[in-house]
Amino acid sequence: MKGATILLIEDERQIRRFVRSALEKEGLRVSEAETRREGLVEAGRCQPELVILDLGLPDGDGVGFVDDFRAWSVAPVLVLSARSTEYDKIGVLDAGADDYLTKPFSVGELLARVRALLRRGRARPGTEAARVSFGDVEVDFSLRQVLRRGEAVRLTPLEYRLLAVLVANAGKVMTHRQLLHEVWGQATGDNSHYLRIYVGHLRHKLEDDPAQPRHFLTETGVGYRFHL
Amino acid sequence: MLSSILLSEDPLSPPWQRYGLAVLGCGAVAAVLWPFSSQLDLPNTVMCFLLAVVVVALRAGRGPAVLASVLSVALFDFLFVPPRFSFEVSHAPHVFTFVVMLAVSLIVGQLTAGLRAQARDAARRERVARGLYGLARELAGAMGVEQVDESVARFLQEQWNAPCCLLLPTAEERLQAVGGRGGAVPVVDAGLLLQARDAQRPLALLADDGSGCHCHVLPLAGTTRNRGVLVVTLPGDDGIGPLLEALSALVSTAVERLHFVEVAQAAQLEAVSERLRSSILSALSHDVRTPLTALYGLADSLVVGPPPLPDEARDVAGAIRDQALRVNGMVGNLLDMARLQTGPVCLRKEWQPVEEVVGASLKLLGGALEGHPVRVLGLAALPLLEFDAVLIERVFCNLLENAAKYSPPGAPIILSADVGPLMVELRVSSGGGGFPPDKLQKVFELFERGQAETTVVGMGIGLAICRAIIEVHGGTIRAFNPPEGGGCVAFCLPRGTPPPVEPEALPADGEGA
Repeated sequence: MKGATILLIEDERQIRRFVRSALEKEGLRVSEAETRREGLVEAGRCQPELVILDLGLPDGDGVGFVDDFRAWSVAPVLVLSARSTEYDKIGVLDAGADDYLTKPFSVGELLARVRALLRRGRARPGTEAARVSFGDVEVDFSLRQVLRRGEAVRLTPLEYRLLAVLVANAGKVMTHRQLLHEVWGQATGDNSHYLRIYVGHLRHKLEDDPAQPRHFLTETGVGYRFHL
Repeated sequence: MLSSILLSEDPLSPPWQRYGLAVLGCGAVAAVLWPFSSQLDLPNTVMCFLLAVVVVALRAGRGPAVLASVLSVALFDFLFVPPRFSFEVSHAPHVFTFVVMLAVSLIVGQLTAGLRAQARDAARRERVARGLYGLARELAGAMGVEQVDESVARFLQEQWNAPCCLLLPTAEERLQAVGGRGGAVPVVDAGLLLQARDAQRPLALLADDGSGCHCHVLPLAGTTRNRGVLVVTLPGDDGIGPLLEALSALVSTAVERLHFVEVAQAAQLEAVSERLRSSILSALSHDVRTPLTALYGLADSLVVGPPPLPDEARDVAGAIRDQALRVNGMVGNLLDMARLQTGPVCLRKEWQPVEEVVGASLKLLGGALEGHPVRVLGLAALPLLEFDAVLIERVFCNLLENAAKYSPPGAPIILSADVGPLMVELRVSSGGGGFPPDKLQKVFELFERGQAETTVVGMGIGLAICRAIIEVHGGTIRAFNPPEGGGCVAFCLPRGTPPPVEPEALPADGEGA
């Protein structure tokens, strides 16, 4: 992870300052931009492996940046948002951002997200492991087999598909819309309650305490995040 | 001169004047002809009398024309036919002359008067039509119901000298006179007015003041509902029905147009003020949080280092960080309260399991619940409920945080639920002393705290936010001290009708996962 270039787009100098110092202490290279336009120019110049993007930029919304950036780069985008922009987050995640952090955030949270995203970004597409384990669950995608404490767990086809999508996007926030699209196809816009019910099923089958999940995490109002 | 007599539009005079005119006309003809009676032969004299009858018929109508006919024959006989000054007839053919003269004058008089009446009627119709046209133009441009009322009143005043009154429903569905001119018409029972408004046909009532006037109550039919009534008082009600209907159609169109203009303006105003409110709150939130984020992050980077700080400095940095977080929480609460209290809340309701929101709240609170084991009972079996997840998460966070703050370390926090026929009740109970019994209601008020002199920090805003959120969801919230000790906050959410869920079959054995 050392030596990776990170582009930080944030208009507040003091926030840039501590984020930069935290990242540099990790051995990462940081380049900065204050506005969306500057950010796009800088992104083209420094080819970042990760972009940290503030949602409250003075010259436009984050969705526009992500749209433009996604046109030529697959590098992960971490969004910084205030809680009042709860629903702006959905837009920017749907546009292709990978994760978000709600302000204020601690250095520890920031670094954890950055590490996870860099790891994700470096994994070659198509090389996902056939076997994944989390908690006391083991999933073997080649055998379509889910084991919990060594015993087979029976999942319906949709539950299995949802599990596969979540695991493939581990560490990334998936919006309700993205999950519905990936698992149910496009025709189920009004059936978002199905998604919540099926996530509930997975929790009951695979979590120790479904009311306090440790792997199938809820991002309230936004979507879900699978945590390995 | 003749044409001016024919076309003059004077309204009919009172009867005595008209009959007087008949007498006067015949008398005048007799007086004028008298000096020339020796030169004029009888047929010419007859002609002159016939002319008088025609003029009287034109000016005074049918009755006076009959009188004039009879008078003419009488005067002719008395003054001009020998023997003079006597009704005696010396020459037998004269009787025939009188009969024919009477018949001709009666027929001519009636025809003339009929024609005249028709002309008069046509002129009146034309005047009314022109008036209606002018009224329609005025109403199309009216900017308010007062203006509509004024135009209609002027129109009716000019056309029939009839007082009128426009009554429109108030916010409480009571009919009220526009422009405070309710006194212009005889008092009509309010219930009758409402009944008339919802009727399809106009209602004609005999006024109760003994004037013999008819009170016409015209419902103003709109596209979606009847908008009000127009009350018109007229001396009679013959043949005026179609006109009144045309009038009520015009007025209803105008009133309805104004109503929809008002609705559109109100909606626009609300949208603008809503946008303004939410942009002010967002800007405020952004402006306050930005420095707090910097403060929190900078202090945190001092704490985590490297380089490691001396212990004391690190404690101070940690304290700064924690206080910044606390201020952030308070700002969040205040902004939420402002958002909830200053206008309609835009809810993003979706059908979802409660368990999920509880899990998210527990994870969000994390360290704040440390030392309090949380037990979640019976949430998995709940039906789906329709709510705004972000707001209900806030409710759970506030309740759990309160429970942790006000109960002794190690005391468990219990989340449980009950399903009623219409509502689902969710409870958060904790150990400790519970709520002061006299403050069970007041704790939900803004800036009210259960224990006034307490070392626990807080502003007394959390439960007020909970109540505001639950109320916009159509639920209720209450606090009580259960008999087994401790305190409990319970809130209800309506069950509604969840969308159907088709269960998916498990694959048969041997088909993999």
